Amino acid sequence: MTLFPAEIPESLRSVLWRGDQMERSVDPAFPSGFALLDAQLPGGGWPRRVLTELLLPHPGVGEIRLLSPCLTATQRQGRLLMLFDPPVSLSAQALTLLGFDVAQLLIVNTRARVIPGSDSLWAFEQALKSGHVGALVAWLPPRLRADRLRRLQLAAQAHDGPAFVFRELAAQERPTAAPLRLALRAGGADRLRVHVLKRRGPPLEAPLMLTLQPVLSDVLRASAWQRQQSARDVRLPVQEHITCHHPTEGHAARAPAAAVPLPAATFISLV
Amino acid sequence: MLWIALHLPRLSFESWLAVLPPDQREQPAALMGARDVLLSNASAQGLGVRPGLRRATALALAPHLRLGRADAVRDGQALTSVAHVALAFTPSVCFAPPSVAPAAGRTGHAGTDPGVTPRTVLLQVQSSLRCFGGQSALIRRLRAAWAPLECTVRLASAPTAQGAAVLAQLVEGDTDELHCADLRSLERRLDAAPVRLLGLSPEHEEALEGMGLSTLGALRRLPGPGLARRFGAGLLDALARAYGERPDPSPAWITLPDVFEVRLELQARADTTDQVLHGARLLIEPLLAWTRAHQARVRRFTLFMHHEPRHRQDAGMPSVTELTIALAEPSCDAAHLSVLLRERLAHLLLPAPTLELRLHCADLARGSPFSTELFTSARGEREGQVRLIERLQARLGTQQVQRLAPETDQRTGRHGVPERAVAQAASAPRPVWVLPEPQPLPVRQSRPLLDGQPLQLLCGPERVESGWWNVPRTERDYFIAQTPEGALVWLCRARLPLSVAEAAQGWFVCGWFA
Repeated sequence: MTLFPAEIPESLRSVLWRGDQMERSVDPAFPSGFALLDAQLPGGGWPRRVLTELLLPHPGVGEIRLLSPCLTATQRQGRLLMLFDPPVSLSAQALTLLGFDVAQLLIVNTRARVIPGSDSLWAFEQALKSGHVGALVAWLPPRLRADRLRRLQLAAQAHDGPAFVFRELAAQERPTAAPLRLALRAGGADRLRVHVLKRRGPPLEAPLMLTLQPVLSDVLRASAWQRQQSARDVRLPVQEHITCHHPTEGHAARAPAAAVPLPAATFISLV
Repeated sequence: MLWIALHLPRLSFESWLAVLPPDQREQPAALMGARDVLLSNASAQGLGVRPGLRRATALALAPHLRLGRADAVRDGQALTSVAHVALAFTPSVCFAPPSVAPAAGRTGHAGTDPGVTPRTVLLQVQSSLRCFGGQSALIRRLRAAWAPLECTVRLASAPTAQGAAVLAQLVEGDTDELHCADLRSLERRLDAAPVRLLGLSPEHEEALEGMGLSTLGALRRLPGPGLARRFGAGLLDALARAYGERPDPSPAWITLPDVFEVRLELQARADTTDQVLHGARLLIEPLLAWTRAHQARVRRFTLFMHHEPRHRQDAGMPSVTELTIALAEPSCDAAHLSVLLRERLAHLLLPAPTLELRLHCADLARGSPFSTELFTSARGEREGQVRLIERLQARLGTQQVQRLAPETDQRTGRHGVPERAVAQAASAPRPVWVLPEPQPLPVRQSRPLLDGQPLQLLCGPERVESGWWNVPRTERDYFIAQTPEGALVWLCRARLPLSVAEAAQGWFVCGWFA
């Protein structure tokens, strides 16, 4: 008789899983909108009632576009989205283009003033505990203590929806209370490289390359990838010609910028 | 007619105990009459302090005994709160005794002490039974409604008001109830009831006792004219009304005031906001009882803190601090209101210790009541969100919880970047992260550098000009560039050839595509 049976009884599958198998969650997950990513996440999407930790080198690698399919789907159900301490100001126009409903979006700045006897995570914890918010995204302060995150993770159990926390990339050296942890890096124009650092399932070595909702047109994106590749290979400036993506109608005829001789190293010629 | 009587035997004691700090409530305490102990709590009784003991005896038994006295104003407020609770269920509520007081007056005995407040609230519930689903359902809801007031209530129901009032005093335990559905069963109960429960003057009680009449049944068997000659017609009247043999004149119904105002004298001066908060919480439940009687919810209330006057008159020190709490969404949830009070009080700097609190409310929202559904719904969630936002705003400040507003002008001037509403502006890519001010970038070999790494321009220029009426006028060309690892950045530079309006040259980073 072996101590660990090969097959876990069906009644225990929701609470117990083998390290080489994916956890089967009781709560249905939220589809992330990326089939490649969903296949690698336990439950097939972003989990609910737990924190999802996303590690970023700096803002602006494509993190909003990664979350936008899930967050906008939550908003379409008429539920509220709350953002805590976004690092810089957000553009309502850009969010609308990504499909967000800005009327169903609240931004909370908790670090604007120091309140004695409380910490900046109080507001996020209250929102998690209330259970009335559809989705939550928080940018946590750097070098957060593990017990603080653990408290948030406990509070998240009352929150019936996805909850994301952004932290600095250096945090991957330390353990986390969140059951899902991903590292995000830019992978080229409109592409995102995702490392699954921790999940309830077998470890995943290879990064996932996700194609995000495009900012650039197809032609531009293809050339951007090519140039990124060539810049990596050659490490030498290569002169290329780029057509203007959005020629401003009134000024395109005059094209004043084209009249100025550009230095060879700026890579552009404007039409 | 069906009357429910709510009798509060420990009203004075409990209204005094409630003001004590929570940690002192369990310690020995007793309510004093003129000379002797009237009531004592469990820990005092454990030490042998029983009702009826003299003050000196009680203090000898329990040296740390805390002694309190009845306060007519305080008791009146507590009883009014119970009446307000009852008013949520029926419009016909009065204080007992409704019939004996004129009887005492008529006989010339100032028997009922004017300082003694009534301790029974009577509800005429016949017309409300159907609305609340029968007598037992109504009583169940009534019990739940007065539970937050934390007072001992004895409940009885009878076909007559006076009869119900007498029966309520016969009830022994907290959960016991006496119900008489018809006059015959009421008669049986009343015949066995002691005479003193009728609320007679002490002289009458003594005289009746001397005659060997201890129960109402014995009193009733005496010939009426003789009784009337000795004790006045009032006694016979009261007796006949209790038994339902004579119609009850319409009592003085309690009317609900439009403005709620209640005071609380603190037992000790409150130096910290925590102590003030404890007192203020005692005022929340009466406020909500009044609100529910109005079938409404609180929209705004004010807490006045009366401070201790100082010997040294500080110029400019106010004697009253005022704290007004306005709610975005009207509420009648005690927990929510006290959380709001706590957050606001925590930020308040009190100039002097507080002696007295006053709660004032005149702003109610009438309308659909608060939903108390079991399963979450969109409506319940919205209410929860509003309460969450209020809590966050109470602590963080109103400015810190914001909503994005799309600008109708498509001109986001606040970023320092005037955006000209060109024809394709709606489809032009915009970064999610926008820097409040464009940051200058270093340039090497005519290429902008971000974090020491050269940027590749991918797309541009997109020309954006400010309106001719904007000063200073700006004309900029916007580009999308990528970092070596592939992140997209939004850059700008002054329009080329350099316009006279823009002094700054070189490249600037304006935002990131996230």
